[in-house]
Amino acid sequence: MKQLIEDIAKALVDIPEEVVVKEVLGEQVTVLELRVAASDLGKVIGKQGRTARSIRTILGAAGMKLNRRFTLEILE
Amino acid sequence: MTDRKYSVASIGSRIDGFLRLTLQNAGFKASYEIQDVASSGDEFETPDVVVKFAGPDVDLILANRAELLLALEHVTMEMLDMPSEDHSRISFDANDYRLLRIEELRLSALTAAEKVKRTGAPFRFNPMNSRERRVIHLALRGDTAVRSESAGSGPQRQVVVYPAGMASLPELPYAPAPRHSGPPRGDRGGPPRGGRDRDRGGRDRGGRPPRPRP
Repeated sequence: MKQLIEDIAKALVDIPEEVVVKEVLGEQVTVLELRVAASDLGKVIGKQGRTARSIRTILGAAGMKLNRRFTLEILE
Repeated sequence: MTDRKYSVASIGSRIDGFLRLTLQNAGFKASYEIQDVASSGDEFETPDVVVKFAGPDVDLILANRAELLLALEHVTMEMLDMPSEDHSRISFDANDYRLLRIEELRLSALTAAEKVKRTGAPFRFNPMNSRERRVIHLALRGDTAVRSESAGSGPQRQVVVYPAGMASLPELPYAPAPRHSGPPRGDRGGPPRGGRDRDRGGRDRGGRPPRPRP
């Protein structure tokens, strides 16, 4: 899942070298923390948060196949 | 409608590269074809390029009103850096979902118009994205007895149908999660007050008449 978020984020941003994803494993849920360059924040969030919402939908569906909940945190 | 702006030749390989990686990373079992669309003259939806999915995970892709399909489509278009006014030029599809959805929206537009004429009260649809709202507006364009407009912002933006001469209702205050509490309001697609008839079989939830298939 880390790879999924990393590859999507890299495809969206202007500075892919600054994309970092950290996976934090909890008991019930895995949190994926995404960091991008400050200037790229808008690219991963999108207008009205639509891009972030779409990425979360993809992540949620992928997690469903693994019977595990994943959440995406976009960090500034 | 307008001239072709995108084609498989211009964007096909970028879409393919992105989708292949994304589906593989996500573990979605689906194949897809990227095709140019001959202009059809259909004003409701004339994309330049269509991406059609097939395979075992199509049900997952179409679940929840094609939530995943639309998410993949949106992220793909952002990846391509397409301006939002071009977003109807690429269409992701599976099992003719888009065509059926347009038909469904047109029918609910006509049903809503009938209801507005009968009751004289405005009808508020469930929130929809811009492409779906457009279908509703187009379907009602020829009906001089009603008028339609979009109200609200962001993911809550919704079409409201009024009797032709009626002034617009004040905008609802933006409330991200009002669905679980309080008295019923417009977000179920019923008219804002009164006139909600339950005797017609169809439940008139905005934009969602009974569908013949899953």
